[in-house]
Amino acid sequence: MSGNTIDVVVEEIRCESPQVKSFKLKPIDTSRLLRCGGGSHVKTYVQIDQNIYENNYSLINDPDQSDYYQIAIRRNDESKGGSICWHDRIKEGDQLKISYPKNHFALSFSAKHHILIAAGIGITPFIAMAADLRKKGKSFELHYAARSKELCAFYSFLNSVYPDETKFYFSEEGNRMTTDLMKNQPIGTHVYFCGPERMINEYSESAKSYGYPDTNIHFELFVPPDFGPMEPFQVKLNRSNKVLEVPEGETLLDTLLNHGIDAPYSCKIGGCGSCQVDVLDGEVDHRDFFLTDKEKQEKSVICTCISRAKTKNGSIVLDL
Amino acid sequence: MVTQSAKIMSKPLLERFPFPFTTDSYRYSNNSRKLDPPYVLDITPEYFEEIKLKRELLESRKEQTFQSFPHSIEAQWEILEMIMHEMVSIHPNYFSLKKERNYWVFRNHLLGEEETFTFGDLSSLPYEPLDFIGRHVQEDLVYLGQRDGKLYMDAGQLCFPADWSIAFDLGMEFLEIHNPVPHAFSGSGLVEKVRDFILRIEAEQPWTRYNWTLTIEPILDTAPETFGEWGPKKGNVTADNAGQLVNLRVEDQRLFRLPRSNGILFSIHTHLITLEELIKNKQWKYQFYNIMDDIPNDIAEYKGFISYKDEILEYLKQRIEGSSSIK
Repeated sequence: MSGNTIDVVVEEIRCESPQVKSFKLKPIDTSRLLRCGGGSHVKTYVQIDQNIYENNYSLINDPDQSDYYQIAIRRNDESKGGSICWHDRIKEGDQLKISYPKNHFALSFSAKHHILIAAGIGITPFIAMAADLRKKGKSFELHYAARSKELCAFYSFLNSVYPDETKFYFSEEGNRMTTDLMKNQPIGTHVYFCGPERMINEYSESAKSYGYPDTNIHFELFVPPDFGPMEPFQVKLNRSNKVLEVPEGETLLDTLLNHGIDAPYSCKIGGCGSCQVDVLDGEVDHRDFFLTDKEKQEKSVICTCISRAKTKNGSIVLDL
Repeated sequence: MVTQSAKIMSKPLLERFPFPFTTDSYRYSNNSRKLDPPYVLDITPEYFEEIKLKRELLESRKEQTFQSFPHSIEAQWEILEMIMHEMVSIHPNYFSLKKERNYWVFRNHLLGEEETFTFGDLSSLPYEPLDFIGRHVQEDLVYLGQRDGKLYMDAGQLCFPADWSIAFDLGMEFLEIHNPVPHAFSGSGLVEKVRDFILRIEAEQPWTRYNWTLTIEPILDTAPETFGEWGPKKGNVTADNAGQLVNLRVEDQRLFRLPRSNGILFSIHTHLITLEELIKNKQWKYQFYNIMDDIPNDIAEYKGFISYKDEILEYLKQRIEGSSSIK
């Protein structure tokens, strides 16, 4: 567990759809929680038997709420188990630890108009972001794709609170959401995506082709994208004068942590930049979403949670 | 002004002074450490005189000492809330706070003052929130807005600057603010690195660093706007009087993530000690001499003491030789 944590109790569990449950988390030791802006998330630590499941979940409560946090989780049968534990094992009254809130998906300050685009459970960050935008009197629209109205979590909530801003797309009704909605928007529009990797790639590419600058395109992934094989390589640590082998299938960050190296990290999916370390020598296969293309070319750094040496059995030297 | 002052207990200055050096050489670096315990405030026996001076400056030189943009108000409330909660949880003898929904009653027992206001309602406070809470703490408080991946100076109450101006810097981006820093620092990409580091600071994991310079006489408000008053004093330093005139000025700087606004609170607590007092600590005497002896001219010039660096060295040298000859 990295960093400070808050002890919370699960106060209320609600079914938001056949696949999605929301959980209201109240602090145990402290009277108040930090208010946090739209787009924030917490890492939850759920211990089941001998395993601790670490997962990041967006906060869906109002940004000015300070006596509880609320998260919503879709049961994912293909996951490593975090969402299944939450759905099948967690009961009201259970206690667990969460991290302090972090925000890697903040709203743009300068945007003239905000377009929030969600697929499935990707709706979660936008619930708090919409509340934030409403409070600040900003112009926004929310597009939300789901299989059907029945499977669409928070349908009635969004329909009653943001009826003018929200547009739903139900594929079973033959109404598919397409990237066309980003066309013909005013200059200064920012777009935000949350959903599966495939959807994010499609919308990012389209936004670029419509002329959106990189700085106006925002997205958040909750699982690391698939970059193909994770080949073994060697890492030399300059300051601690060590040489470590990163085995096939293991991240550089895990190798560092397993060897007791105090390496920084946060999101573990190449999205936040917290794990950046200076590279003194060797070529890097950048797999993160944090550094810009320019930075990947010009800066000698690596996001250890996801990036690797460029070649199989290659070697990189880190300032660690 | 002070009516029912609770007594502030503390050690002598020499025992609590934040000596900023860990080695015998000083260069620019990102010398940040995790702040533990993670608090904004450091309340010292100088509290009463410093608050009095702060408030006088805020009245007589308002534009020089407080600046803000309208879009910083939400973050200003967040800072006020954060500091008030720290005040009453860490220093319950000095401060108290009663809340009934948004109706707040704040008491400063050190100064015997009470303020009632409605949280979030600007018209219920006599000053903007940052300006208000700043009048109860020794620290200077600066709000850095994080907007679209960059940091901007969006508000600040700055009464005790080491020769920089909030009126001049307001609205500037982090890299612009640091342009005057010598090339050895700014040209090496270190400013960008520090900026990237601040962008990634997380809630409840604040950081701290010491910055330092030298100041003639114990003057806290060395603002560029009043250079004419304190600047010429540099010409008075000799090897004989450096011990009394020259002060090591240390800024205890702290950086906090503000999760609601997603900005940064940058607090600065300035400490002063005369060289005469400082060198009573033998280790500090030798270390400070080595630092002065080694310091590159561009840093000494940027920090503003190149014109009397030789006098300080001579002063320290005499004290070191004097003490070894006694042995």
